[in-house]
Amino acid sequence: MAAVLDLPMSVVRPRARRVAGVPVALVGIALAYLTLFLFLPLFAVFFEALRKGWGVYAAAVADADAWAAIRLTLLAAAIAVPANLVFGVAAAWAIAKFDFPGKSVLITLIDLPFSVSPVVSGLIYVLVFGLQGWFGPALADHGVKVIFAVPGIVLATIFVTFPFIARELIPLMQAQGREEEEAAVLLGANAWHLLWRVTLPNVKWGLLYGVILCNARAMGEFGAVSVVSGHVRGLTNTLPLHIEILYNEYQFAGAFACASLLAILALVTLVLKTWVESRVARETVI
Amino acid sequence: MSIQVIDVSKRFGTFEALHHVSLDIEPGELVALLGPSGSGKTTLLRVIAGLEVPDSGSILFNAQDTTAKRVQDRNVGFVFQHYALFRHMTIFENVAFGLRVRPRALRPSNEAIREKVVKLLKLVQLEWLADRYPHQLSGGQRQRIALARARAIEPKVLLLDEPFGALDAKVRRELRRWLRRLHDEIHLTSVFVTHDQEEAFEVADRIVVVNRGRIEQVGAPGEVYDHPATPFVYQFLGNVNLFEGRISRGIAHVSGRRLAAPEHDGAVDALATAYVRPHDIDVSVQKSDSAVAATVDHAVALGSVVRLELTRHDTGDVVEAEIPRDRYDGLKIVHGQVVYLAPRRARFFLETAAPTSEAA
Repeated sequence: MAAVLDLPMSVVRPRARRVAGVPVALVGIALAYLTLFLFLPLFAVFFEALRKGWGVYAAAVADADAWAAIRLTLLAAAIAVPANLVFGVAAAWAIAKFDFPGKSVLITLIDLPFSVSPVVSGLIYVLVFGLQGWFGPALADHGVKVIFAVPGIVLATIFVTFPFIARELIPLMQAQGREEEEAAVLLGANAWHLLWRVTLPNVKWGLLYGVILCNARAMGEFGAVSVVSGHVRGLTNTLPLHIEILYNEYQFAGAFACASLLAILALVTLVLKTWVESRVARETVI
Repeated sequence: MSIQVIDVSKRFGTFEALHHVSLDIEPGELVALLGPSGSGKTTLLRVIAGLEVPDSGSILFNAQDTTAKRVQDRNVGFVFQHYALFRHMTIFENVAFGLRVRPRALRPSNEAIREKVVKLLKLVQLEWLADRYPHQLSGGQRQRIALARARAIEPKVLLLDEPFGALDAKVRRELRRWLRRLHDEIHLTSVFVTHDQEEAFEVADRIVVVNRGRIEQVGAPGEVYDHPATPFVYQFLGNVNLFEGRISRGIAHVSGRRLAAPEHDGAVDALATAYVRPHDIDVSVQKSDSAVAATVDHAVALGSVVRLELTRHDTGDVVEAEIPRDRYDGLKIVHGQVVYLAPRRARFFLETAAPTSEAA
């Protein structure tokens, strides 16, 4: 961009006039692309889900196994999101407001789940907690089952979603600097006051934004959860896994009905995200 | 309350921010830490506040060692250059913060807090802004609120880090005077950091000139200006021209002219640099052996004086001279004319000393 702007006006102008159709063409291409890869599939999900009528749709969603999958998905998210909320705030606070050895290592580690394939993330837990794994036999002796059970699903979900909140907060907190915290300490505030009265109120919208993204990923995660789940119907299937099973069994109406639930979640997330984003922008100013 | 800084050093990685700094501040004094950016003046202030831990040395408040005391317990009022008001709190809550975070046993009642905050807001003449948020205020207003907030905890020491640095010139001058008046009323021991010599001279009782992590000179404003202890102080406080010369037994020979240099009467034929203020240079149109030739590049009229920018013929150096308006008119100087310059008064620093050391 800078290179173009640096050109003398006499060079840029005639060319710009000659290619006046370019913006229209670009917008057209973008729209066509979005239609083909985004709107059409989204439409297809709802179309297929409702093709056999509301009755079949309602039955598919109300099915006992589907209901169990929904409950498990909600449970995993209900544990993973608060866990990562605590971790994310703690990590972001430490990184943005304090200096300590190993800071860059911590930042890299937070990004790890983004760079590792979800399937590998799942396998890690199988290797550590599986029956052939390091702690699996010992845990099994005490009657604790992690892999192919709910704890494994929760662990995998936490792992995959833990960067979201920290990643959202770190740049925001860094942009806000340390001066308000310093001012608070000079006025006699302790660490608790700092967190609750200064730092968190300053990043509340950024935090909510991170929670929304984290929740969307927690409910939609497939790869890592698939490896540790074992696909036991009604017990260890989350909603995405349930959809896959229905689809593989040619129950398209049911599969798309459940898929539409996730699609609705995505749409709600998008709306919330857009609204919160404008608030985050406001937090960054001043 | 008095403040003593004893032999404090502080490094940031390989950068030496403070090098064995010692300083005594009397109770009720208003002291300016003056120096260029990166000189360590802000670090010194932050060490006094407890925001930085010195690598060595100690800080005493009223002769009591506070080096290990927590920031929270130091009871220090601090004002930041960029105000650091709590952005999500109203002005009222900002000022009340220091009272609200006190331990329950020491916390005033809501009624007492309200009374105190209103009183402080009245003192800074901004009580009508109590319900606003910081971003709705101008810079000058924010800084006054920051001061009110710092005062709420009844600090024994007030520290200000470039308090007027982010404000425009007019507001800065107003706030400066206001701060001085406020200080005269309450006599709270205060230290403020600035890189603006005019600000330091106008506000402070004493000036501490800081450079490269060391204190160059401490003294009353007039004393520091009239008797700079080091070449650095001389150059930092106002414009200065350098003339090469020699000193022998208290007499300096500069550009063929003899000037008294009694402070160097022990030196024998030593190389010296004469530091000459622009208003201490004689400008003449008559050629003379005891003056150097120079060409007039610019002449700028500044009220009652005219500032000349000249180029010396012998060295090619640029010289700045200030002469009274009527003298300028009498000489009928024009652009490009050759004139003859001679220092009337100068301060000498021997060449053997490093340019910024105190050994001069």
